[in-house]
Amino acid sequence: MTPAPTSPTSPGTAAPAAAPATEPSMSAMPLVSRPVVGIASPEQSATSFIDAIKAGKPVTSAVHPSLLKADHIVKVDDFQLWYSQNKALHGVTMGFPRSKVTAMIGPSGCGKSTLLRSINRLNDLIDGVRVAGKMTLSGDDVYAPKMDVINLRKRLGMVFQKSNPFPMSIFENVVYGLRIDGEKRKSVLADACESALRAAALWEEVKDRLKGSALGLSGGQQQRLCIARAIAAEPEVLLMDEPCSALDPIATLKIEEFIRSIAGRITVVIVTHNMQQAARVSDNTAFFYLGRLVEYGPTADIFQNPMLPETESYVTGRFG
Amino acid sequence: MSGLSMETATAATLAGSPRPARHRPPASGISRFVDSGLRWACRGAAATILLMLILPVSVLLIQAWPAVHRFGAGFLVSSEWRANELEIPVRDAAGKIIQKDGENVTTIEPPSFGALPVLYGTAVSAMLALIFAVPFSFAAALFIVRVAPKIKIAGPLSFLIEFLAAIPSLAYGLWGLFVLAPFLATTVEPALISTLGKVPFLSWMFFQDVEIAGATVRRQLPAAGRDMLCGGLVLGIMILPIITAVSRDVLKNVPRAQIEGSLAMGATWWQSCVEMLRYGRAGLFGAVMLGLARAAGETMAVTMVIGNNNQIVLSPLAPAQTMASLLANEFAEATDGLHGSALLYVALILLVMSLLFNIVARYLVVGKNSRTSGAH
Ligand SMILES: Nc1ncnc2c1ncn2[C@@H]1O[C@H](COP(=O)(O)OP(=O)(O)O)[C@@H](O)[C@H]1O
Ligand SMILES: [Mg+2]
Repeated sequence: MTPAPTSPTSPGTAAPAAAPATEPSMSAMPLVSRPVVGIASPEQSATSFIDAIKAGKPVTSAVHPSLLKADHIVKVDDFQLWYSQNKALHGVTMGFPRSKVTAMIGPSGCGKSTLLRSINRLNDLIDGVRVAGKMTLSGDDVYAPKMDVINLRKRLGMVFQKSNPFPMSIFENVVYGLRIDGEKRKSVLADACESALRAAALWEEVKDRLKGSALGLSGGQQQRLCIARAIAAEPEVLLMDEPCSALDPIATLKIEEFIRSIAGRITVVIVTHNMQQAARVSDNTAFFYLGRLVEYGPTADIFQNPMLPETESYVTGRFG
Repeated sequence: MSGLSMETATAATLAGSPRPARHRPPASGISRFVDSGLRWACRGAAATILLMLILPVSVLLIQAWPAVHRFGAGFLVSSEWRANELEIPVRDAAGKIIQKDGENVTTIEPPSFGALPVLYGTAVSAMLALIFAVPFSFAAALFIVRVAPKIKIAGPLSFLIEFLAAIPSLAYGLWGLFVLAPFLATTVEPALISTLGKVPFLSWMFFQDVEIAGATVRRQLPAAGRDMLCGGLVLGIMILPIITAVSRDVLKNVPRAQIEGSLAMGATWWQSCVEMLRYGRAGLFGAVMLGLARAAGETMAVTMVIGNNNQIVLSPLAPAQTMASLLANEFAEATDGLHGSALLYVALILLVMSLLFNIVARYLVVGKNSRTSGAH
């Protein structure tokens, strides 16, 4: 995350002609193509960036200066991912600041979920997935051969698009992480359950039916239960993949309130297709397009004063 | 109707010049006639299938009726199975046999039938079969769903499992008779006797109390290989494919989100497998019920290896009898009306039992699968 300071360049033309047209490998990529502080230059047309992507040229992400100096808990460096022959991530470089909420936005299929699931290595389960580049969690190389994936995942919580409670009691769902860690002390489990449910704003609704089945809860409650399950294990980072996409507005609001309440205490990375949601809950927003990070900056800047015209047209709903 | 013409229609409507609906000719008389004929043919075919179920059941009921009428529900708890009349000498108050004209005075006990030993034999052999088959089947199903696709052998493996299910039971029976039973008799059972045989509270497994001339004698079981254990093992092998195939389908239907949910929490491979089993538990129970129905109804192989002793002996090392093997053994020689009727009573119980197992299994497997597959 220490890019060479280079002169502001137009992203579309940043890549030297020497760069291969397709699948630029990490080693072949010259330093200048690493993300730099991009300043939108007046001559940049609204399509130059996208044209460059479509032509398969490496592009430079526009990263706002404040995000270059931040204390990043997860660092992603020129990270690439292939699903068999299809390249889903084309050299993403970014960092997720500690204890902040980072939103990932972009049109469907741009690789948001792929990047999110690369952090806890859930993509490992999919046949034919290959990665290149580097990713670290608190300095530990996520893809190092000696990395224990089970331990890695214990350090990360995840909330999925569709709530996925286990078919057991509410209590057992919340303490699942502690159970698989071998925790047996009743008081520890009960305390963890209560504080996680309180944090997920579900305690008042379920405190009298903790022994009842989790499947008896409403959709919104189930999703908050999954949140409680994820945070009960006290993860370093909470990964959320469109957690509200299946919920009604009121249930959505409750989850957004949770994210705001937890902000500052836990790092949250949230994928969302809902721009208002990104604007409401996040400190920083990253805009992805076709497997590239396009622009990354403080949420207010991304929505009100983006560097790139592409970002502006996306956040204002003109494309995507 | 193609999207294009619909668009044109909409466009035309919007333009304010509605297109008149095309006049379509009514269906011809011939096609209506053929139609009703085919409809009736379908009804007839469906009725035939129903008839094919009802007919045998009613024949069975009618034939079993004398025994049902005679023994009633007591049939289920009586353990006497005697096809011949019994002459019993009549004794006086002092216990001396009464004689008249130099001959013993006797009363005639009519033949008596009870299904308890075969119910017991069926239940225990099926349970043994499940104990052997279920862990193997679930493990194999997990392997097919979670591991085999990664190494590209899921297809061949599934084919193999289905192929195993199609092997005639005679083949399993022959293998049981000529390979498994001798192996049990010469190797496994002696080993069991020499190890567990010394444990005091396990003596029921190796000894049997026999009544000889009014005295109870404790006798070591012969451990001849052809016994309940062998029957249970052969049955277990026979129901392995069906349980594996059904559990495989159940586990395949577990939503990805459930597996990923547990893995994302830091579950190990096995812990996430446990979550899969938990999620599919109703369907898996159905798979077990299907296996149970198979095991209870299996005839040929069991008859060959279970030893065919119509008595309740607790030890799995003793020969036993199941409902199906009793039928196979005695049906040909059941000349006496009541004997045959009693056998059909057993057959009726077996039929009702398998029907129940199958209904429960279908409800659990099909019901659960359609519910879960509807969810994603
Ligand atoms: N399991 C998979 N196998 C193959 N291709 C995939 C898989 N998951 C996602 N992709 C592809 O990767 C790209 C990025 O997908 P994804 O990360 O899910 O996008 P997003 O979450 O931004 O909508 C898409 O083109 C998608 O088709
Ligand atoms: Mg997605």
